[in-house]
Amino acid sequence: MTPPLLRVEKLEVVYHHVITAVQGISLEVPEGSIVALLGTNGAGKTTTLRAISGFLGVDDARVTEGSIEYRGHRIENLPPHRITSRGITLVPERSKVFENLTVVENIEAVVPRPGADARKLAEAVWEYFPVLARLRDREAGYLSGGERQMLAIGSALACAPELLLVDELSQGLAPLIVEELLHRLQAIRKDLGMTLLLVEQNAAVALDVADYAYVMENGRIVLDGTPEKLRSHQDIREFYLGTGAGSGARRSYRDVKQYRRSRRWYG
Amino acid sequence: MQLAVNIAVLAAIYALVSCGYVLIYRTSRVLNLAHGELMMLGAYGLFTTASLFAGYPLLAIATSALLALIVGVLVYVLLMRHMAGEAVLAAVLTTIALGILLRGTIILFWTAQAQHPIRALGLTNQSIAIGDAKISAVGLTLIVVTACVYAGLYAFLRYTAWGIRMRAAGQNPLLAAQRGIGLHRIYALAWGLATFTAGLAGMLVACDSALDQTMATIGLKAFPAALVGGLDSLLGALLGSLIVSASEVLIIYYVDPLLSEVVPFIVLLAMLVVRPWGLLGTREELDRV
Ligand SMILES: Nc1ncnc2c1ncn2[C@@H]1O[C@H](COP(=O)(O)OP(=O)(O)O)[C@@H](O)[C@H]1O
Ligand SMILES: [Mg+2]
Repeated sequence: MTPPLLRVEKLEVVYHHVITAVQGISLEVPEGSIVALLGTNGAGKTTTLRAISGFLGVDDARVTEGSIEYRGHRIENLPPHRITSRGITLVPERSKVFENLTVVENIEAVVPRPGADARKLAEAVWEYFPVLARLRDREAGYLSGGERQMLAIGSALACAPELLLVDELSQGLAPLIVEELLHRLQAIRKDLGMTLLLVEQNAAVALDVADYAYVMENGRIVLDGTPEKLRSHQDIREFYLGTGAGSGARRSYRDVKQYRRSRRWYG
Repeated sequence: MQLAVNIAVLAAIYALVSCGYVLIYRTSRVLNLAHGELMMLGAYGLFTTASLFAGYPLLAIATSALLALIVGVLVYVLLMRHMAGEAVLAAVLTTIALGILLRGTIILFWTAQAQHPIRALGLTNQSIAIGDAKISAVGLTLIVVTACVYAGLYAFLRYTAWGIRMRAAGQNPLLAAQRGIGLHRIYALAWGLATFTAGLAGMLVACDSALDQTMATIGLKAFPAALVGGLDSLLGALLGSLIVSASEVLIIYYVDPLLSEVVPFIVLLAMLVVRPWGLLGTREELDRV
């Protein structure tokens, strides 16, 4: 069996030497797949992505245990731009575009992975996102939420990633736009042979496209499986999809006592 | 008329010096308070290369300018790089220490006496008449060089990939690194370019008048020009330089020449009271200082 493209093992991340945001999670992302990492606010999803993309130092966070392997090489201590040049690019949750640069400058600013054809990549971005092509000379700060997300994805693509990490694609966007963006991402992945790791609070969106999903809570992975398996799981239906038995409306996961869920998950 | 010429020459000096403050500040949010000393180092560098390449003034100037660029990169790589992640204040204090160190080194290696690199180059500084006013050849060169430097910087920052990356890194270093941009490389480039322009300014000013320890003061006087403009805007630095030099020349002429040293700082204080983020600076930008 070939090793997965990305393997995270027993990863532990601590902020400011005291706050353990990620407590020993393990996950695998096979080449060519779409993997989703789900969980409510504060579960530790963003922290996990930041650890993978090398972005812990700025907030005084550290990987204290475990390892992150990409193509069989440890990457947890590489500086961020080196990780990008190895082929992992992150579309961050917040401040994802250079606001005072124009759309085209946002694309031109990236340093593509060595060996990639920058010009061809930029062309591809305009093709995938014709809207951006029309807004080429607009300052990114004036873009709408959807356009901004497209530019964030587009400029990440210009880095020629093999593994694209997307943090909360759906956040703050209308469902229709989210759907369109996801379909576009699926098409791009097929064309370019990319691998995707999607982080989402919105489980319904992610389970539609993922091949495999992990559910995080309080810094741990509490469930994992194929979308079919997760969809049929009672808790997922109740807390994340809002289609749980007996409850018409979507329920907040806080409504249910923590111990009950934990018992079901661990037991 | 003569006043206008004097203002133009002084503005060119301030502009050539202040673009270095702006370059470093807008890319790395560090105020380089050793800028005046680096400028002086460039001038002394010319004094040395002039005697090395006697008879080839252009070669001497080019070598010295190149050395300035290398010194700038080295200052970043050997010193400022280690300040990454530390508080901005620590970085600024480091530049002050560097400035003091440079002053000492310069006295040690060269003499504290006034030098005239233009003689060492074997050139003379003739004056040229424009109408009823006069401008020195070096003064005219200063204006031309400043114009070229600003045009070059503008084109670099706007149209080249590395220039765009420099702007990107200045706005959002995190995202820049995520997009594959090596920040150390960008900052080293900014320091290199800033010291290069400071070196040019130092050489030209030394050729126009003389070279001694007071040159660092010119570097310091150009700082208000950069700040009046807004510190993160090249156009602002140009404008600020004009304002500061105009006030200085006019006050010297109409009030008292002794005020020359303080005028830029009076302008600076006035600006800080009225519009602390500078003429063309970004408002949030200053909140972070
Ligand atoms: N810069 C930080 N400093 C301290 N704690 C942080 C920081 N960023 C995140 N955390 C904490 O780490 C935990 C996980 O946060 P995060 O990874 O952002 O979760 P998610 O992306 O799943 O919403 C939270 O409890 C949060 O409070
Ligand atoms: Mg998050």
